[in-house]
Amino acid sequence: MSTPDQTPSGAAAAASPASAASPDRAPAQLEFVDVVKRYPGASAATIESLSLDVPAGEILVLVGPSGCGKTTVMRMVNRMIEPSGGQILIDGEPNTTRPAAELRRDIGYVIQQTGLFPHRTIAENVATVPKLLGWPKARIADRTAELLELVGLDPEFAGRYPAQLSGGQRQRVGVARALAVDPPLMLMDEPFGAIDPITRERLQNEFLRLQETLKRTIVFVTHDIDEAIKMGDRIAVMRPGGHLAQYATPAELLLSPADEFVEQFVGADRALKRLALGRVRDLRLEETVRVRYGDPTAWVREQLRTSQVPYPLVVDADGRPLAWLDDDDLRGERVVEGVGSAVATVERDDILRDAFSDVLAHRVQFAAVVDGHGAVIGILSSDAVARELAPGPAPVEPVEAGAGPGTGS
Amino acid sequence: MSGALGSIPLLAQGGEGFVRNRESGSGASCVSDDGVCPAWIVDHFDRYMEPLGRHVLLTVVALAIGFSISFTLALLAHRRRWLIAPVVQLTGILYTIPSLALFFLLLPITGRGFLTAEIALVSYTLLIIFRNVVTGLDGVPSDVVDAARGMGLNDRQVLWRVEIPLALPEIAAGLRIAATTTVGLASLAFFAGAGGLGDPIYADLNFKSNVLVAGGLCVLLAIALDLLVLAVQRLLTPWTRAVPA
Repeated sequence: MSTPDQTPSGAAAAASPASAASPDRAPAQLEFVDVVKRYPGASAATIESLSLDVPAGEILVLVGPSGCGKTTVMRMVNRMIEPSGGQILIDGEPNTTRPAAELRRDIGYVIQQTGLFPHRTIAENVATVPKLLGWPKARIADRTAELLELVGLDPEFAGRYPAQLSGGQRQRVGVARALAVDPPLMLMDEPFGAIDPITRERLQNEFLRLQETLKRTIVFVTHDIDEAIKMGDRIAVMRPGGHLAQYATPAELLLSPADEFVEQFVGADRALKRLALGRVRDLRLEETVRVRYGDPTAWVREQLRTSQVPYPLVVDADGRPLAWLDDDDLRGERVVEGVGSAVATVERDDILRDAFSDVLAHRVQFAAVVDGHGAVIGILSSDAVARELAPGPAPVEPVEAGAGPGTGS
Repeated sequence: MSGALGSIPLLAQGGEGFVRNRESGSGASCVSDDGVCPAWIVDHFDRYMEPLGRHVLLTVVALAIGFSISFTLALLAHRRRWLIAPVVQLTGILYTIPSLALFFLLLPITGRGFLTAEIALVSYTLLIIFRNVVTGLDGVPSDVVDAARGMGLNDRQVLWRVEIPLALPEIAAGLRIAATTTVGLASLAFFAGAGGLGDPIYADLNFKSNVLVAGGLCVLLAIALDLLVLAVQRLLTPWTRAVPA
């Protein structure tokens, strides 16, 4: 179908399949059917009959120790490696129906060492696939500018060479280049592996934000279980020898590892890792007595008897948390200005891991959850976090937290 | 030394028009003393132009043919790695044959003249250029080639758009060595009856003015060719000069 083409020289593109690369292509559904990879002369198969189903628009993370064949699985999708058996279906169509080069132009490809062309400028690098597909110059220029902005690169980088960029910037270019024709499917082989931890974290977050709008189907390879849990909608844990050990969502994987290998691979701290999956808003908040400096202590003690949280919280006139009070602070007639201990402050959108860490760093093991203006909207207890982690059904409605009538235990 | 050279004119008959042809009005005593005579040089400079032109032709033709052969061989060997060893061995043997010996070996087959000289000159460029092209192509980072293939460039596109451009500095380096070597070897071409600056040099080896001018022109030609290749390379590889920002 003809897509709106603002460029006067769109005729060339209209004649080629390139015009199919419209800005809003649907993500692809990907399926591995009994895929086997066996190298001639090798005693054991590299990949042992792998079947996986990746819904459109999701990130599949292939994770496992080195030698488990995760990269081989990824590279078979765009036929950089040809399987010895089985089929890989993209939107139901075997990936062997088209010539390999043509297939690859439709699949975004990002690798750890970026693979940027050192002899081409950033703009030329990003324009690689559009140029192969014969897009008109003006359309390429527009798309390149758009992509650089999308991945957060200053337009002034367009004319530079890769050697003039930092590692993080180069990896952004790599992502922009892979996104150039808005491919329905993307392959990413440890894309953030060679980057310092701080930049990696930022790139991961930015990429997830990007993915929220782009909704591409992505095969993401990593050896880092934390990255897998963070990036994946679904995780395929591979065992050395090319066996699929478990295919599950991050939460399932952490809650119920399929076997000892997976359990070991996800780590002894797998319960804690689940904290990375939740946010403060997922938990039920508790309430405490809110007091102001100068309030009579007798009244505070009285209120405290029915409070869920055993500490009163001092707030200011705007409801912002100032300090936790304990028994010692309530000895006098009134609450004295300046007494109490520091309050951990978290927001509803904070990741549970970060919030919990903040709570642990304070003397009082409760955090004040604040809104955008800094006013307290509830209290997060370390107990609530622990309940969230405990296996079992519906941790969302803990019985003992119910303050309402009729909640006997 | 003089004995060896003495037998050569029988075969080579070098130095037509140059033999002891020093007649000159200015600085006659300097000339008869075999000295360095600026006035004589100025007066007789034009007689070196024809040998120089011939020398340039010998060199450039040898480089062009040598480059075509070795570049083609290198591209073949790049995909068929087993070819590298035999090609290196063969061109290595050619490289080690003394040039004079090669001229004399070829004389019965190809006779005196341009062709004989070129066969010898070309054979000396092969090893250098072949090895540098192969090294250059091998030096292309594997991740770059992988990404190129992964994005859907076919083999030919990978070769011409990625591998060869990135191998250019190494290829140019080989061409520069080959160029300077060939300029030097071409001064022996007159033994094969192919002319060049060797003609005037060997025609009057005792006359310092003569040797200085002809030898100097050889050196200048070598430098000029070297700089020319370098300039072209820099023009073609702007990315190698990009300063990290």
